[in-house]
Amino acid sequence: MKFNNNSFYKTALIAVGLIAATFSQASVAQADWPMFRGPNAGSVAIHAKLPTQFDGKDKENIAWRTELPGRSVGGVIVVGDAAITTSSSGMDQRRLHLFSVNTKDGEIRWQQEFVARGRPFCHPTSANAAPTPASDGKYIFAFYSSNDLACVDLEGNLVWYRSLSTDFPKAGNDVGMSSSPVVVEGVCVVQIECQGDSFAAGLSAEDGTILWKLDRPKQANWSSPTIVKMLNGDQVVVMQSSEDLLAVSPKTGKILWEMKLRCSSIPSSFAAEGRLFVPAGGLTAFDLSSVGASPSKLWDNNKLSSNACSPLVVGKSVYTISRTVLASGDLFSGESKWQTRLPDAKSIWSSPVVAGNNLYVFGDDGRCFVVELGDTEGTVVATNELGEAVLGSPAISGNAMYVRGVSSLWKIAEK
Amino acid sequence: MIGRLNQRTIRCAIIGVVAFSVSTLIVNSSSLRAETSEESIKLLRSLTAGDDSTIAAAKAIKQLSQANDITLIQSLTAMKGATPVGRNWLSGLANSLYRKSGKSQTAELGKFFADQNQDGEARYIVFQWLTSNKETLRNELLANMKGDSSPELRFLAIEEAMKDKLEKKELSSLLESARHPSQVVSIIEKLKELGEAVDQSRQLGFLPNWRLIGPFDHVGGLNFNKVFPVESDWANGALKDEYQGKTETVQWKEEVTNAPDGAVDLAAIYANEKGCIIYATTEFESDKDQDAEVRLGCINGNKIWVNGKLVMSNEVYHTGTQIDQYSEPIRLKAGENQILLKLCQNEQKDAWAQVFQFQLRICDATGKAILTKGR
Repeated sequence: MKFNNNSFYKTALIAVGLIAATFSQASVAQADWPMFRGPNAGSVAIHAKLPTQFDGKDKENIAWRTELPGRSVGGVIVVGDAAITTSSSGMDQRRLHLFSVNTKDGEIRWQQEFVARGRPFCHPTSANAAPTPASDGKYIFAFYSSNDLACVDLEGNLVWYRSLSTDFPKAGNDVGMSSSPVVVEGVCVVQIECQGDSFAAGLSAEDGTILWKLDRPKQANWSSPTIVKMLNGDQVVVMQSSEDLLAVSPKTGKILWEMKLRCSSIPSSFAAEGRLFVPAGGLTAFDLSSVGASPSKLWDNNKLSSNACSPLVVGKSVYTISRTVLASGDLFSGESKWQTRLPDAKSIWSSPVVAGNNLYVFGDDGRCFVVELGDTEGTVVATNELGEAVLGSPAISGNAMYVRGVSSLWKIAEK
Repeated sequence: MIGRLNQRTIRCAIIGVVAFSVSTLIVNSSSLRAETSEESIKLLRSLTAGDDSTIAAAKAIKQLSQANDITLIQSLTAMKGATPVGRNWLSGLANSLYRKSGKSQTAELGKFFADQNQDGEARYIVFQWLTSNKETLRNELLANMKGDSSPELRFLAIEEAMKDKLEKKELSSLLESARHPSQVVSIIEKLKELGEAVDQSRQLGFLPNWRLIGPFDHVGGLNFNKVFPVESDWANGALKDEYQGKTETVQWKEEVTNAPDGAVDLAAIYANEKGCIIYATTEFESDKDQDAEVRLGCINGNKIWVNGKLVMSNEVYHTGTQIDQYSEPIRLKAGENQILLKLCQNEQKDAWAQVFQFQLRICDATGKAILTKGR
């Protein structure tokens, strides 16, 4: 084979261009809210400007609402100008849907569909579509309570599919599973903890092969794995259960450290300011700079407990929700600062998000409480009626909030 | 000099990148060329679990996407007889093909949908495409699908029919078509409101007559897999009248459940005993050799043997239950079939963890109850 100079350089440039395009496409930076709780699982978009007042019925500050078939209690993610969400429908909620919705106008761009091959059953308040999807900016990973895991490209074309309940037939929980996947360093990590085949696994984002698998405690666990960037720049995946807390290498599944700790099995951990915050004993903070055998404990505070919602950090404060009470504590000392009851709130499952200095949290009756976060108090500045039950955590992209109701997707933005 | 070195370095790097890209392309394209679209479809149809299977399938679907010589109808037709995992891959392919050209193939899709010999899951997808934003067409089609060969489509049709106010005759007809327990129960309730009593337990085919023995020791949850003498004696057809139980000698008890949902309440029968195992046995008389499914609802640990063969094993406690929670295929022989259940209660103290019961029925693959002879 001969190259003349021109064709050689043209080919080379095309090859380099293709490679560059591949890398830029794979960048998570393109995904605005790439997984459950957004970038770094922080749940915070500090520069976003969202309306404090909105109303689902009167369409006040509702940019659009798109009804979707079936039911979902999971959240929504945003990848570029696409809002991605799942639902489950039909007999025993065996039909599994994945939707890409145009963030500009709410049009459904594409949808994919599968049938649950694992156990589809769940509590009547839940759904097979309970986990929030995840994206690395190149692929989308849709995971369901029935342990069906599908990877599609950004155009919705199937790249690979895996029925993890076919691989591991005793994986499942008839109350329903809800752990959301994370994707990091080319690996999609799922945590499937139940009384049967209980495990965590890392699957190749490219081809769905299981790169590693860890046996986990045989107890029901609904919390999600969390990507934590260590001070040396390494990314690890932290997982919790009612028996332990551990960090693994995403590529190999090698346990980097672990400790016995009775963690909550619904709200999930997250890292901020060099600290790992774990819903355990209320809330426990660990020093990520101290990692040797395991990170050292900085403080715990049983008044900062979370029953369902994952905690978050804004500025120098940490925030938790226990049933209907929002509490604030000092990030560094763990001391309680204030707490406020969300007025007439009933049941809250949706993890809150923060835009600017306002915290937004939805009750399962569809009411959204907007709380202005102060150093000495939290002030409920608005209670907004969406008119639809919300159990999944919203996503924020630009100056808009995307909310997955049980049967539709909403965009809330200043009109 | 530095400039020349840099040029050389850049040139070498570019050659390396190009060589790598070209060699990768050659390797990939040669392996993809080794599979025709026909072979790729064949591969997807036969998929099972495992890494090798997933890698092969990912390559196959990429090949199909690049070759672009499989039609939407071909992808749907291929779902017939494919494995459950394979059907999901083919469904993924079909959805992509539909986005490209499906909307211009309404006639072909309509014909495919009307053919009840095609795969039920594929027809369900087509039904959604054909009726998207077409409420009238959807209702017209569903009106004639209450006896559809696809359990999912039949479920939808009955769900739609139930929205209307129905008379006794219509409800009775619907009851014959319904397969899903939730729909059967709803129809029976509506019939009851109209003064028509239906034996729900019989309609759903729950087995009401049991012989029970226990409690046996299960403290610490240690004995789920322990073979107590009841198991081995039952397998040998030599059950004794009494056995050594958890604390004392225990005897068989006859139990007939009249519960509409077929539930046998072991907590009530055994005084809320915890950390224990109860065995339950019954006979099922089939009028012929036939394939069937044993369907169990049980919030406790459980095992089932049919004619000496272990067919179900679930070491799971207190994580939800419902009719048909667990389902496994079995082969019934003409005449008497022996069934043994091992039911395990743990020692959780939570108020919601006190339930200890089971409900069992035998169905055909569509969920229609098969009744024991004479019931």
